[in-house]
Amino acid sequence: MKQDYIKFPLHLIFHPIDAYWDLKSDNRGRMLVAFSALALTIIMMTLQKQYAGFLVNYIDPRTINSIVEIVTVAVPFFLWCTANWAVTTLMEGEGKFREIFLATGYSLVPIILIYAPMIVISRFMVQEETAFYYLFNSIAFFWFLLLLFIGMMTVHQYTVIKTIITMLLTLIVMGIIVFLGALVFSMLQQLYEFGYNIYRELIFRT
Amino acid sequence: MARTVKRWLVLLAAVSLLLVNAVPAAASPAPYESYNYNSWREAVPSPDAYLPQRTISGSDLGIGEFKDPGDVNVSPSGQIYILDSGNSRIVVLDPDYKLLRVVDGFTREGSKETFNVPGGLFVDEEERIYIADTGNSRVVVLDAEGQLDQIISKPESDILATDFQFQPLKLTVDHVGRVYVVAQGVYEGIMQFDETGKFIGYVGTNKVERDYGEYIWRMFSTKAQRAQMVLFVPTEFSNADIDHKGFVYATNIDPGSNEPIKRLNPSGEDVLKRFGYFDVKGDIRFRNNTGPSKLIDVKVLGNGMYSVLDATQNRVFTYDDEGHLLYIYGGKGNQVGTLKTPVAIEQSGDHQLVLDRGKSNLVVYEPTRFGTNVNEAVALHYQGEDTEAVHIWQEVLKLNANYDIAYIGIGKSLLMEKKNEEALGYFELGMDRKSYSVAFKRYRREMMKEHFGTFLTAGIALIFILILTRVAVKWRRRRQIDREAGLH
Repeated sequence: MKQDYIKFPLHLIFHPIDAYWDLKSDNRGRMLVAFSALALTIIMMTLQKQYAGFLVNYIDPRTINSIVEIVTVAVPFFLWCTANWAVTTLMEGEGKFREIFLATGYSLVPIILIYAPMIVISRFMVQEETAFYYLFNSIAFFWFLLLLFIGMMTVHQYTVIKTIITMLLTLIVMGIIVFLGALVFSMLQQLYEFGYNIYRELIFRT
Repeated sequence: MARTVKRWLVLLAAVSLLLVNAVPAAASPAPYESYNYNSWREAVPSPDAYLPQRTISGSDLGIGEFKDPGDVNVSPSGQIYILDSGNSRIVVLDPDYKLLRVVDGFTREGSKETFNVPGGLFVDEEERIYIADTGNSRVVVLDAEGQLDQIISKPESDILATDFQFQPLKLTVDHVGRVYVVAQGVYEGIMQFDETGKFIGYVGTNKVERDYGEYIWRMFSTKAQRAQMVLFVPTEFSNADIDHKGFVYATNIDPGSNEPIKRLNPSGEDVLKRFGYFDVKGDIRFRNNTGPSKLIDVKVLGNGMYSVLDATQNRVFTYDDEGHLLYIYGGKGNQVGTLKTPVAIEQSGDHQLVLDRGKSNLVVYEPTRFGTNVNEAVALHYQGEDTEAVHIWQEVLKLNANYDIAYIGIGKSLLMEKKNEEALGYFELGMDRKSYSVAFKRYRREMMKEHFGTFLTAGIALIFILILTRVAVKWRRRRQIDREAGLH
């Protein structure tokens, strides 16, 4: 229990190349961990906006909305997984959807681990020390990117160049999905309007 | 009988009139909406700082309407000089807005000379009048009696082009008699003349804002195309004023500039402090109306404060010496107090005067309780009397609880009294992160000093306990191994 759910993710963030391989071949990854990583990331992002110290917190408290927070993290996350799966299927990637999902979820762990103490510490910082706050936040972000990169590379058994290309393609496909989604949404709305207008016409004519 | 009924009726009518009047009149509303910007860049309604008191036109004074008045200046002794450009005359009023005299020309070598569409004027401590006589390409200096003192005409200098047209628009004079002239078509800065009228040079050039897109485009164009393109020349200044230390405040009307107000030190560098939330440039947000502000006049009010006049929305913005926006008043319109085409702003006592060319009158604004309090508190803060300023800031907060500068002011005073913890709350309300950081640093050090012993004790105790548990665990494990080995 402890081995797979706590020790393995912590091992993974320090030894990503080995651990992602274990995740793939030995089936060490757990969906629960990936989901909780996502949930905790959302919680950390929200907590940071609400509770980070005054000197580093430039968020207007009236604009904080947890639904928006959830959407802004979760939607790109699932979009990324879907788009990546779509791209890599065409580009001979070996990863299954589950593995992509796990790799992406596990790479969020450093963000949680760094954000949590930084929220507390930022409340005791003065202006000169806020540089550390921003430094650690950037470290968290780049660590996440690095893990994501290694995760994609290992899961799909790609070369470095191919990984970079697929990741960029994934971003483009994410844009396309959003575009198509918006298109479908607007079409549906017009369809509905059309139906509703006909209904109204009929009602008035009778 | 009929008489008594009549008498009663009259009495009733009188009483009813009295009762009607007894209903308290609403506080005289301003014809404009006052507002101020909070730290989130939102325009928040604010109490009026100044209210229109009266207007003064030429017919009020009995000298015929003003025609395109161009400038107004108040001398140190309090006399108000209105430059009636269209009629080429100067109207002098006393501090109570009563007509004193009209200057419509001067005698030069026996013959009478007049002005030709003068653009600006300035009056110094000795009541000498400096007139930028635009149409005649000269600056005329008259003494207190209206006699000609000096004429500054087109300067001769190596740095001026031979076909240079000297058309002075606005001017200001420092206490040793140096004349600073804003002239038309001069991009090099403000022209500076010494007390004898000799041209010294330029001060304070406006920098050209680099447009990189245009720059690259220019690289790929032919010479003929380039000749057709717009030249990137610095903008002209629109007006100038001087403070008691001899620093020249100047405004320019470059619409893209974030520094339209400059405070020039004697060597011509801009030393205006900009520590407020936003750029010192008038309106910072214009969603429903046109912007940005076009600043056409600046008035130094003393105690580091200065007011600028915006010709886009016809508003007056007042700043303190650190660049905090204090209050905004005025607006477009035709009522008393709103402005049509404002051209100049001045201060007379605690009144502010705005000259409106469109309506040919001078509007007198009177500070409200809010405005007076803010002015007083800012003055006290400028003079370093922060503890005295606190009471006035508290008064201001009663009138406007959204007034961030008041919170910062109280916070700074508390900080000076070493009440760091209380100051923290005020700085947070005023969203002043810099001062908050200073207060927090002191507060943190205080706390550390007080509780360092406790921290250390707890820390050592914790380490001790950790070691002990470690030893205990090890010991127990060994016992277990020993037992399994059958040693016991």
